Amino acid sequence: MLLETKNSGGGTRFLLLMKRVSKQNRAQRKFVSLPVGLAFLLALVLLLLLWEKGRAGEKLTIGEVEDVVLMPWRVTLPARIDTGAATSSLDARDLNVKNNIAEFRLPKKYGNLQLHLPVVGWQKVRSADFRERRPVVEITFCMGPRLIRAQVTLNDRSTVSYPLIIGRNVLKENFVVDCVRSNCLSPSCQEVSSP
Amino acid sequence: MDRWLSLLLLSVLGSFFLFPPKMARAEEKVTIGTVEDVLLLPWKVKLPARIDTGAAKSSLDARELKVAEDRVEFKLPGKYGGLQLRLPIVGWRHVRTPEGLERRPVVELEICVGAKRFRTLVNLTDRSLVKYPLILGRNFLREGFVVDVRRRRTSIPNCPDAP
Repeated sequence: MLLETKNSGGGTRFLLLMKRVSKQNRAQRKFVSLPVGLAFLLALVLLLLLWEKGRAGEKLTIGEVEDVVLMPWRVTLPARIDTGAATSSLDARDLNVKNNIAEFRLPKKYGNLQLHLPVVGWQKVRSADFRERRPVVEITFCMGPRLIRAQVTLNDRSTVSYPLIIGRNVLKENFVVDCVRSNCLSPSCQEVSSP
Repeated sequence: MDRWLSLLLLSVLGSFFLFPPKMARAEEKVTIGTVEDVLLLPWKVKLPARIDTGAAKSSLDARELKVAEDRVEFKLPGKYGGLQLRLPIVGWRHVRTPEGLERRPVVELEICVGAKRFRTLVNLTDRSLVKYPLILGRNFLREGFVVDVRRRRTSIPNCPDAP
């Protein structure tokens, strides 16, 4: 018992103690090393558990551009990851809002799919010389292993290289952005692969 | 036997403290938030910077911009001291804006982020409509930063004076 309390000082002292203990008789050694060994085993298990817990909530590192899959249509779009944008936005062609339903098509390059989605809000955009109101809809997409439901503003982005901009409203769901990389994750949600 | 078992346990435990699996990876890159205070060197002007992975290049709010041959003269916004600067132009950047194509002078700046100095290229433009006087884009972030949008102002700029 006395040896065990001394041991709490640290690893090196423990080693010295082990040497000293080995010189003592066998019966006494058994008595000492069993509780000490057990205590270490317990500590090891605890550490492993804590480590695993930390990994479960781990931040996902993504690059400056990532492929995402728009659900439930399974359209793959390259997305620009933009920490400078407060909200996300989607390239919507031939946009028309009727009775709070936004009607638009995805760019031809990505399948030209016609979509009808309820408008959940409007975003005021201040451009350099004019004011604009853009409809906001909710979409579901798969980025890496995560299925994300998020609000996006719709506008014609034909002059820009990426059909989807992922802004801070999505990135705050525990992603970190590393600009040296792109396409770090391939979309791997269960919903993407299952029929 | 018991002694060897304990030693084995100890060494396994020791290796956890010596080589924590996650820490080793995190050390390579500095995590910063969406807004960071930086110092413009050598003038030590403190500016809040928007960390913007959507911007290919960094840019600085330059007022009363005047180009004279290979140099450019401009003022920092009044809110940040209104310092008059004269810097050599190292290039031009063509930017597509809603009003058409714009040509912006590019200069090299030394900035202090956290405890480290960086020389980085920024283009100059009047950003009076925008909240932050400095945008740090991907050309700067590739120096070893990762961006966590859940955080902001993670560092205080404090660089030791150059020898």
